[in-house]
Amino acid sequence: MKRDITLAFRYASRHLWQYLLGLLSLLLVDSIITVIPRLTGQITDGLTYGITTGSAVAPMTMADVTPLVLRILVCGALVSLGRFGWRYFLLGASRSIEKEMRNDLFSHLETLSMRYYNTHKTGDLMAHFTNDLQSVRNLMGMTVITTFDASIMLIMVLYSMFRFVHPRLTFFAIMPMMLIVLCYSFFAKAMHRRFLEKQEAFSELTDHVQETVSGIRVIKAFVQEHFELAAFALKNQKTKEKNLGVVRLIALAMPLLDLIIGLSMLITLIYGGYLTINRSITVGQFVAFNSYIGMLVWPMIAVGECVSSMSQGLASLGRIRTILHEVPDISDTPDCRHDITALKGSITLNHLTFAYPDTHGVPVLQDLSVSVRAGETLAIVGHTGCGKTTVISLLERLYDPPEADMICIDGVPVSRIPLRVLHEQIACVPQDSFLFSDTIENNIAFGMDAPDHAVIESAARAACLHDNIMMFPEGYQTRIGERGVTISGGQKQRTAIARALVRNAPILILDDALSAVDTDTEEQILQNLKTLRSGKTNLIIAHRISTVQHADHILVLDHGRAAEYGTHEELLALGGIYRDLFDRQQLEKQLHQDRGEDE
Amino acid sequence: MKKRDRNPDIQYEGNALVRLLAYMKPHLASFFVCLLLVLVVTVLDLYRPTLIGNAIDQYITVGDDTPLTVEERFSGVLRSGGIYAIILLLLFICNRFQYLMMQKTGQQIIYDLRNTLFEHVQALTMRFFDVTPVGKIVTRLTNDVEAINDVYSNILVRLFQNSVKVIGLACIMLAMNTRLALTCFALLPLVIFLTALFRTLSRRAYQVSRTRLTTINTFLSEHLSGMRIIQIFAREKEKGDEFREKSEELYQANFREILIDAIFRPATYMTYVCSLAILLLAGASSVISGAISIGTLYIFISYLESFFNPIQELAQQFATLQSAIASSEKIFTLLDTRPDIPPDDHPEILPAVHGRVEFDHVWFAYQGEDWVLKDVSFTIEPGERVAFVGATGAGKSSILNLIGRYYDIQKGTIRIDGKDIRTLSREQIRRSIGQVQQDVFIFTGDVASNIRLRDDSISDSQVQKAAEAVNAAPMIERLSGKYQHPVSERGATFSQGERQLLSFARTLAYDPAILILDEATASIDTHTEQLIQEAIARLMQGRTCIMVAHRLSTIQNADCIMVMHHGRIRERGTHQQLLSLNGIYAKLYALQIASH
Repeated sequence: MKRDITLAFRYASRHLWQYLLGLLSLLLVDSIITVIPRLTGQITDGLTYGITTGSAVAPMTMADVTPLVLRILVCGALVSLGRFGWRYFLLGASRSIEKEMRNDLFSHLETLSMRYYNTHKTGDLMAHFTNDLQSVRNLMGMTVITTFDASIMLIMVLYSMFRFVHPRLTFFAIMPMMLIVLCYSFFAKAMHRRFLEKQEAFSELTDHVQETVSGIRVIKAFVQEHFELAAFALKNQKTKEKNLGVVRLIALAMPLLDLIIGLSMLITLIYGGYLTINRSITVGQFVAFNSYIGMLVWPMIAVGECVSSMSQGLASLGRIRTILHEVPDISDTPDCRHDITALKGSITLNHLTFAYPDTHGVPVLQDLSVSVRAGETLAIVGHTGCGKTTVISLLERLYDPPEADMICIDGVPVSRIPLRVLHEQIACVPQDSFLFSDTIENNIAFGMDAPDHAVIESAARAACLHDNIMMFPEGYQTRIGERGVTISGGQKQRTAIARALVRNAPILILDDALSAVDTDTEEQILQNLKTLRSGKTNLIIAHRISTVQHADHILVLDHGRAAEYGTHEELLALGGIYRDLFDRQQLEKQLHQDRGEDE
Repeated sequence: MKKRDRNPDIQYEGNALVRLLAYMKPHLASFFVCLLLVLVVTVLDLYRPTLIGNAIDQYITVGDDTPLTVEERFSGVLRSGGIYAIILLLLFICNRFQYLMMQKTGQQIIYDLRNTLFEHVQALTMRFFDVTPVGKIVTRLTNDVEAINDVYSNILVRLFQNSVKVIGLACIMLAMNTRLALTCFALLPLVIFLTALFRTLSRRAYQVSRTRLTTINTFLSEHLSGMRIIQIFAREKEKGDEFREKSEELYQANFREILIDAIFRPATYMTYVCSLAILLLAGASSVISGAISIGTLYIFISYLESFFNPIQELAQQFATLQSAIASSEKIFTLLDTRPDIPPDDHPEILPAVHGRVEFDHVWFAYQGEDWVLKDVSFTIEPGERVAFVGATGAGKSSILNLIGRYYDIQKGTIRIDGKDIRTLSREQIRRSIGQVQQDVFIFTGDVASNIRLRDDSISDSQVQKAAEAVNAAPMIERLSGKYQHPVSERGATFSQGERQLLSFARTLAYDPAILILDEATASIDTHTEQLIQEAIARLMQGRTCIMVAHRLSTIQNADCIMVMHHGRIRERGTHQQLLSLNGIYAKLYALQIASH
């Protein structure tokens, strides 16, 4: 709580001047706005009793009225200026703070490792950017304004009432108003509860529709439509009732508020009237007092509102603080070799054993040793879940191995290579070939500092993508993921390959990156890679033998252990897992060819 | 300038407002009562300042030359106070009653509309569900319907009330003192102009900031999901800059909104102050000349304030009405979507379904001329077991879809028990078909409710029997709540195989004449695999079975195997016959053997 407030002040202090000017504007508005009824009162007074100068009483003339009216106009102008001021400064500051927090949040999230993203869903993170930022903005803007304004207004109006009108009248007239504050805390609690119930009913209804529509096949197949409608009607009924629950409360609260304010007015009429008849107060004071009562309504309601928006804002601030204070678990280590700016490309795995966090130490990789010289191509094959991708994640340092020297590039533990260098020097085509909803050109140029169309095009050609792209009406400017144009899985993978190729990095990783590409195209791409990547290190992970057979070395992983290792021919001769895989895929290939003939 | 294209969800051509209002029809009586109550409230509200003004005039400010004694004057004030108290009480009652009544009416309309819409959506065919995202349908039924609630429960009444207020106030003021009233209205055109200008500008600003917010949220959700790519390509700085740029754009749009608000609100206030000044000048001179009393001036001063508010509220309410109409257009578009298979018109009800299924030169495409099935003909006799095999996309699953008439075919005829399915009752056909789908949908509820679904006529013992017959019972018995064990939509607590068993139990509980089995390809551990094979054998007993099969055992046990290839039946016969043919089937078989 205290740290949340500190955080709020840290952001607010950058906008100190805005806050000062804004609060000053509020003060201006509040101090002047009470003057207007007083001036109006002076006019009605003067008209009723005449103007008293010394002991002489003269009837009011237009010459007396005009300066008063002018003063009203000046006050009005000042109030307008003030009202502009607080909106401009205070609301502006709250938006600035929102922006700064949003930027800080994103920058910080960029430093957090995959470990963090595995436990924090995108949707939950998004909620911080939407809901939490909004309530923090409210806290830093509207709540500050309301709190300050309501307090000032309350003090000013009460002061005017006591000072300029009549203390006892003030006391009696505001008694019912006190009720509002009391009622508010009661209503707020009940309202909060009923509102939650209403929202709960609504989300139940939403879930129900969601489920029915998702399961519509089953519902139709089992002819459940009538039953479903009945079940839906029940949820619908509940939503209606919960809505009415809120409505009933409002139907009591709003007229009650009106009644209480009316009560204050009634007291003013009777007691104030009595005082006026007695000549304890003037008609003008009486008229002004009526206006003051009207002015008190808002601050009374505001007091209750402030409390709830403040607690909401602070809670959100706390959640945002949790993210900002999350320490990235993968960053450059203290013994980082900052002198390394480029990699040659030799890779050594040295008795690598690794278990993912939160898996109770069940190892994914066990005692894995292999080394690749710079310029060589290593392929890794194996069943799903055998640990192939884990090797890549460790090489990319998305996770750290238990011991630093278990995984080295150019003989240096990966953890001692600066992260930025590591990521710049390894080009990777990950399994899921995640693309951004941008043009194909920009997707390929993703990793380039200075996009160059010639480079992009040659990468697209190497990935056998260029011809496909040219078939789209908008060519390289075709946007991915927008309505109408969807690209196939194979095209996605090839875009991801082109994206990696433009980096021309010493190490290239293809993580099952050709699975959706047909074998002919695959062969073509592999051929292109051979010339393009000669003298550089390549790491190819695949299910298909055709993808890996030309590699310098092939590693067969089985349950996280190195089961077989050698060249294509050596492994075939071995007659193990690799051979088995090969035979099966030969058959598939044959069937595929038959189908081809069929067309 | 970018061309503003129409929202693709709205293809509604009629007048949505008229149609919205038509839903009020059954509630006209309560609506009129509400209008009456609102009228009373408005009149009483308007009378309040007059009452106080009169009291001031008659009893409080009268000069010393009054014939009334101080006591008489005070009792006059008390009398006015009494009337004022009664008005307050009346207002309390009327307001409360009107609000409740209107909200109840609104909620009832919404409730009915939701049910109608839900029923309509359920009646739509699979083609609709194939192309419409789930989220969109959900939004129509939930948020969009909610958005029009305000029209019935609030907007209509408030529009009426504010119009009455504005007109009523104007009339009273005019009747009291025409000259003074006209001075009050002098700046009215300016107020209306400012309000209209403000509405337009703020609406435009809101749309811009809304679009930018969506942009930044899309960017965020995409880049948070793709953080791995950003990190392995070392693009943190560049993407951070891009985000800050978008963030700045959003800030600018938001700031513009603040600015518009900051200018217009004080401006409207200033027009009020100017009007007050004009009124005071004109009023004072009238009082001085003796044309009006001081009480009248008081009344005008308080009326002036209540005159400005409803005009601005009216503008607000029109805006809300507009957005509600936009929502209603989306709803009506959905409501007017006709199912592409028309509802059954006097269908023939078979006394019993025996299970003879016949495809007679069937051509079928999901879209246009993209034929998925080309001239497919076969006959399956009651009790026969037929397996369809072939590569993905060969058209196997489509055959299964057509038997339950989830889609209509373009050419040819499908017959069940010799009758064209287009003349039969869809409900009866589907009831007599048990469909086991590849991916098993688990509903939120418990195990039993997932077997019997919502048909309570299926007893607990029937549920249990079905579960036992398909080997699902042991696994259910192991759960802490047994048949009452809670499960959720994703059915996360169940493995693939267990979900299969559950769906078998579901199918068996409905005791269908025809079994349609779309066998799952997912690899399942050997123990469960064995349970599943036994279960399938039991499911098939005494039923016509049509299946898309992957398991060798299921295929081998079929009476007839049909090999689909590119939408045609290329080979048919028993396992042995097809093997000796040495065609597509023989190769598929070899592939299966190799993978085991």
